[in-house]
Amino acid sequence: MKVKIFHENIFTLQQGKKRFLATRNLTPGLEVYGERLVQVDEAEYRIWEPKRSKLAAMLLKKLPSPFTTTSKVLYLGSATGTTVSHVSDIVQQGVVYAVEFSPRTMRDMLPVCEERANIIPLLADASKPQSYANVVEPVDVIFQDVAQPNQASIALSNVQHFLKPGGYLLMSIKARSVDSTAKPDTVFKQQLKTLLEQDNSKLELVKKQKLAPFHIDHLGVVVKKTE
Amino acid sequence: MKTWFADIEINEDGSVAECSPCTQDVQQLAKRLLVFQADPKQIPLASFDPVKKAIECGFVSGKTEYYSLLQQTCIAATRLKIKNSYSPDLRIIHAVEALDDIDEAANLLAERLGIWYGEHFPEAGMLTENLAKFVAENGLRQDLPQDSQFRETALSSVGMEMDAEDGAIIKAFAADLSSLYERRHVIESYIRKNMEQLAPNLEKVAGANLGARLISMAGGLQSLSRMPSSTIQVMGANQALFKHLRGKATSPKHGIIFNHPLIKNSHPKIRGKMARALASSLSIASRVDAFSGRLNPVIKEKLDRKVLSIKEGDK
Ligand SMILES: C[S@@+](CC[C@H](N)C(=O)[O-])C[C@H]1O[C@@H](n2cnc3c(N)ncnc32)[C@H](O)[C@@H]1O
Repeated sequence: MKVKIFHENIFTLQQGKKRFLATRNLTPGLEVYGERLVQVDEAEYRIWEPKRSKLAAMLLKKLPSPFTTTSKVLYLGSATGTTVSHVSDIVQQGVVYAVEFSPRTMRDMLPVCEERANIIPLLADASKPQSYANVVEPVDVIFQDVAQPNQASIALSNVQHFLKPGGYLLMSIKARSVDSTAKPDTVFKQQLKTLLEQDNSKLELVKKQKLAPFHIDHLGVVVKKTE
Repeated sequence: MKTWFADIEINEDGSVAECSPCTQDVQQLAKRLLVFQADPKQIPLASFDPVKKAIECGFVSGKTEYYSLLQQTCIAATRLKIKNSYSPDLRIIHAVEALDDIDEAANLLAERLGIWYGEHFPEAGMLTENLAKFVAENGLRQDLPQDSQFRETALSSVGMEMDAEDGAIIKAFAADLSSLYERRHVIESYIRKNMEQLAPNLEKVAGANLGARLISMAGGLQSLSRMPSSTIQVMGANQALFKHLRGKATSPKHGIIFNHPLIKNSHPKIRGKMARALASSLSIASRVDAFSGRLNPVIKEKLDRKVLSIKEGDK
């Protein structure tokens, strides 16, 4: 397979006509959730399926990646660590603070944290950022995938407390979690309004993009906090 | 302000005024973390950089050590929190689901035994649990004890002959099935006992089995207690409910609570009213159970009065 750089520490592997998104495995030999491992030359890559990860879908739908090798990331709604593990690959020398509020789900993510030194698990409610403010440092990126009715305000309160000036918020808005009867576009508009039209929220929209066909009725959003 | 590794006093200019770092004991640090999480006080400012301060305070000598300790602490805290997160109604949920599994398995095996043994002794005329017990105890027609009431019928049976080897196999098969039924009874009384302790009001209004089933479907007593009674009323009527939401049917009047004698034994004309009254009573019962866990007989009495008035109104 042919390896191309897609973004910093994010790659595409080309096999014939097929192209896969991938990250370089931080823990060679170990897979996290059954993903395919591919050896190319000296490096091992983990295939990153857009259907299984909102972040992968966002990247393939051409939203910019704000991640660097040393990024500090606050990840809200980490579930069992599928996407978190790829972020952990990307920010090799950085940190991922992974917030998840379901104990049962977190139970499945713990082994991933134990294998990867740069994931800090926080079994906490993302709508109460005060509760982990004694641990989390100011971060370069906040990624959110919580699928909750109040996702925009959850994002906002975390941005206010933890995002550095110049940092980025990436979020996936799931229309049906906000309102299962309203039109997705209406929901997206209203969530973006909550996010961007606050007094001195200092947030500006960089880009938004629907995540179909990978995820139906999801909107991917990249927002920047101004200096 | 409180950080995970120390209480820190900060000067106006941001420098550290006072800081006495905790010892590097991961378990202690984890407990401290959880205390803060449950009740956040003296929250660090938004721009506060804990990594720098931890080094300044002398808690750690550098970043690598900082992150390694932080990770260990957060993993330890997460483990503790997970361990304490299991609610006691989980045992009810698992038991109810085990009952369903047993039923599914038992039905399948009972059907097999019925066909198999029926080939040999079609006149026995027993089903499921009775048949399993009978075969497990007696085996084949020719092995029936002298005083068995089936002796006569067995002698004139038109069934297929079976030998000792056939008998041993079928008898063991029936014994397995029979012990499955016994297990079912044991689990049922286990559920009853646990329901009386954990959700006495629900047990009183719904009965142990239906109450446990409601808890299981809701995913726990807490979530059941947060459901509006209209949801409880149709819980388990998923297919009918989705049809209704798609606009293809009238709203369903009862889901799993249909199994309650109040509804099952009522005239169809008043079932809707009964279901509403029962659901509302179940909702109150689950709330009281989730909140205090003590039996309050008034809930059932109120339902009984309501039921009477529905029946009166129907006359
Ligand atoms: C769609 S899943 C996330 C999937 C994950 N990002 C991935 O790609 O691997 C949403 C997760 O957010 C969690 N969640 C929802 N609300 C939350 C909250 N307020 N705080 C923390 N986690 C939350 C849910 O328990 C669930 O595991």
